[in-house]
Amino acid sequence: MIQKITSILLILSLLILPGCWSRKELNELAVIVALGVDKYDDGYMVTAQVINPTEIGLQRGSIGATPVIVYSAPGETIPDALQRILSQAPRQLYLSHLRVLVFGEELAREGLSDVLDYISRNQELRTDFYLLVANGSQASDVLKVLTPFEHIPANSLYSSILVSNKQWAATGRITLQQFVTELGREGANPVLSGVKIIGDKKVGRSIENLHKTEPDALLRHAGMAVFKKDKLVGWVDELMSKSVNYILNEVNTTVGHVRCPDPDDGIIGIRIVRASSDIKARLDKNGKPEFDVVYFIDADLEAVQCTIDLSKEESFRKIEQVIRKTMQSTTETSVQQIQQKFGSDVFGFGEALHRQHPKVWRKYRHQWGDVFPHVKVTIDAKVSLRRVGSIIQPLRREMKDP
Amino acid sequence: MAQTEVKSDAVKPLTFISDMRQLTGDSTDIIYRYIELNDVSGWLIYVEGLADPRQVLTAIHEEPGLRDGLKSDASSLYDHLKHRTITEGKLQEEETLSAIAELLLSGYTVIFLDGMERALCIDTGSLKQRQVQEPASQSVVRGPREGFTESLRDNIALVRRRVKNAALRITSYKLGQETRTETAVMYLENKADPEVVAELQRRIKKMNLESVLESNSIEEMIQDQQYSPFPTVYNSERPDVIAAGVLEGRIAIFVDGTPFVLLVPALFMQFFQSSEDYNQRGDFGSLVRLLRYFCFAISLLTPSFYIAVTTFHQEMIPTNLLLSLIGQREGIPFPAFIEALIMEVTFEILREAGIRLPKSIGQSVSIVGTIVIGQAAVEAGFVSAAMVIVVSLTAISNFALPAFNMAISIRMLRFVIMALAASFGLYGMIIAMIMLALHLCQLQSLGVPYMTSFAPFNGWYQKDTLVRLTQPMVQRLKKKRDGA
Repeated sequence: MIQKITSILLILSLLILPGCWSRKELNELAVIVALGVDKYDDGYMVTAQVINPTEIGLQRGSIGATPVIVYSAPGETIPDALQRILSQAPRQLYLSHLRVLVFGEELAREGLSDVLDYISRNQELRTDFYLLVANGSQASDVLKVLTPFEHIPANSLYSSILVSNKQWAATGRITLQQFVTELGREGANPVLSGVKIIGDKKVGRSIENLHKTEPDALLRHAGMAVFKKDKLVGWVDELMSKSVNYILNEVNTTVGHVRCPDPDDGIIGIRIVRASSDIKARLDKNGKPEFDVVYFIDADLEAVQCTIDLSKEESFRKIEQVIRKTMQSTTETSVQQIQQKFGSDVFGFGEALHRQHPKVWRKYRHQWGDVFPHVKVTIDAKVSLRRVGSIIQPLRREMKDP
Repeated sequence: MAQTEVKSDAVKPLTFISDMRQLTGDSTDIIYRYIELNDVSGWLIYVEGLADPRQVLTAIHEEPGLRDGLKSDASSLYDHLKHRTITEGKLQEEETLSAIAELLLSGYTVIFLDGMERALCIDTGSLKQRQVQEPASQSVVRGPREGFTESLRDNIALVRRRVKNAALRITSYKLGQETRTETAVMYLENKADPEVVAELQRRIKKMNLESVLESNSIEEMIQDQQYSPFPTVYNSERPDVIAAGVLEGRIAIFVDGTPFVLLVPALFMQFFQSSEDYNQRGDFGSLVRLLRYFCFAISLLTPSFYIAVTTFHQEMIPTNLLLSLIGQREGIPFPAFIEALIMEVTFEILREAGIRLPKSIGQSVSIVGTIVIGQAAVEAGFVSAAMVIVVSLTAISNFALPAFNMAISIRMLRFVIMALAASFGLYGMIIAMIMLALHLCQLQSLGVPYMTSFAPFNGWYQKDTLVRLTQPMVQRLKKKRDGA
């Protein structure tokens, strides 16, 4: 009997004594929602945006402080710097809920692979956060700006990437996973979305920034950063970003405008409601690779600022032709510019060649960087207009007709 | 020794009445009425309140054969009484004191004629009883409103009424050395597994109880495994549930003095069925039953899952939810496990208090408990609002289970799993689940595996396990099964 009781006690103490070794209560954690990495001497300056728990709950204890606190510390390596941050923060750093990782432009130009090694190796980090590059500034400055509406700046960045990527198509929604895969892929180079501070970044750091209808400092998406391998080579503007996203098949919906079939008449605003693309690699008679990109686009008419007669079917065919031509010319210019300016195959043409003509690819794989700027790319678009909206004839037309 | 006892126990013509008085210790509720039939004197004995001898007395009084003087010896008068005078249906002759006393105490009227070595026992039981009422537990929206009462005979009749079948077998036992409680076992000869019936009879005979006041004493004696949190005997105070069980081939055990009738063998899935399932439309019945299994999981696992996830696996929580939880937990002085324990124990106290209190006060206690204490605890910063939600959800899910005894076992196990979750996180919960599954699978109810229809899997039983198929569907399937 005594033996039985002893064994039960032993089993129970097994429950209490060795257990709980990885236990951490929620209020012992400093949750890092955004991490910024900048160049600093030979090492890195790491900036962490940490949740200030008393300010995010709806309850007691709020003293009107900022919803996040930003810590910065330098270090030879990133864990080194994080260790120093720990000496400033009163709680255990918790990285699993990172939403965005921002790189300073300077660092990005020098190469990201060393940083990404730590980030991918750390088992505490998920791989589903978004990567951004601070356009023309330090990552630490970006993390210090307080944002209205979404009070946690990291969440604000995160959701605006989600929303704008869906609605606007000029930003890249790239997670760590995708970026690292893209880096490892032959015949494709990654792009990252850029973020820019507009306004006064000093005021942006204080809660004052949120007390105005028009905040003094805002974060804005600023084009896309083009990489060659892991190094940033340059920025592309909104229109080019869109073209990149079209070819990468990353466009959901977006808006745009084209000139009317009669160019002097005015312009037509369209909304792309569905878009997909298809890259075909083929060989010309000299055996050189060429690429045909075909867009399949469904569009709605949104604003008709000309006098076209929309009761006739041929008008629609005409508008479709105009959209097709516009898409062709803008994309072709974008591709050419990227080919010439950066020489970085962000579209994944090499990848397409690899898939469709693996034998030919073997010839080019080691010199694709040199070949890519000179390959010929033709664009075609199959456009269908779907809806005209609640009214049919343009109002401008009715103004003219007596 | 035994022989002399039999001898001393036998009815002695001369001393019967004084022997009787001695045996019952002159209890004042036992009435000895002196009667005279022709020249023979006799006694009519009954227990006040238990028996109503009025009809017997009237019959004796009005029977001319007993007063005409033609028969004047005790034995022919006795026969006359037995065969002609007594109008009651149930009548017994006994020759031992103890047997007579037992009948007397269960509501029989005893007639003893001087000089005879046996006595006539007439069933005149007329105990004041509760009417058949709507049962307090397991109430339904649609379905019969009858509930069992404390009377064994009424209870048996209530089931008989629903199963008019000649194959219905009822065996009676007197259990409990001191209480001699009448107990009846009911089953359908053509449906019940004879091995199970024999096993139950063996267990009942082996039982050596001092007293049986409620069916639980019997439940504890016949269950297969003493140390299990799970009930392996089903009980109900609804005749329709017991009738349905008997029709399925189960065995019902009625105990006099309690409205709770036992049903064996009981299977795990049976505790998730309610008679309502069969009284409502099949689709609804199936959905509600699935909901109950879901409630079982919620009730068992929610607090431990909350503890495990918030103290070990924060990375599993969606970021926005985590932020809101962190905000709530800020300033709470206890670890999540202690916090959960405080709330759960508080709730258990409230629940227990609510049951014991008179109904009218009980409601206000629950209001004070849930709203005032819950609200105040959150506002004072002792516990987080999320924890209050978790505990209330757990409690409400627990009430959704139709079988009270299954709900109790979940309440107990919940704390064990919480402790495991607090020390090992989800890993501990998984260990608990595995152990629970192992335990459930080795459990038996009267030799029948407890998890029958899941493990061992039985395809045919699936018609009425997780979901309830409607009658036409069952019949179609039956045709298919029998045809193949």
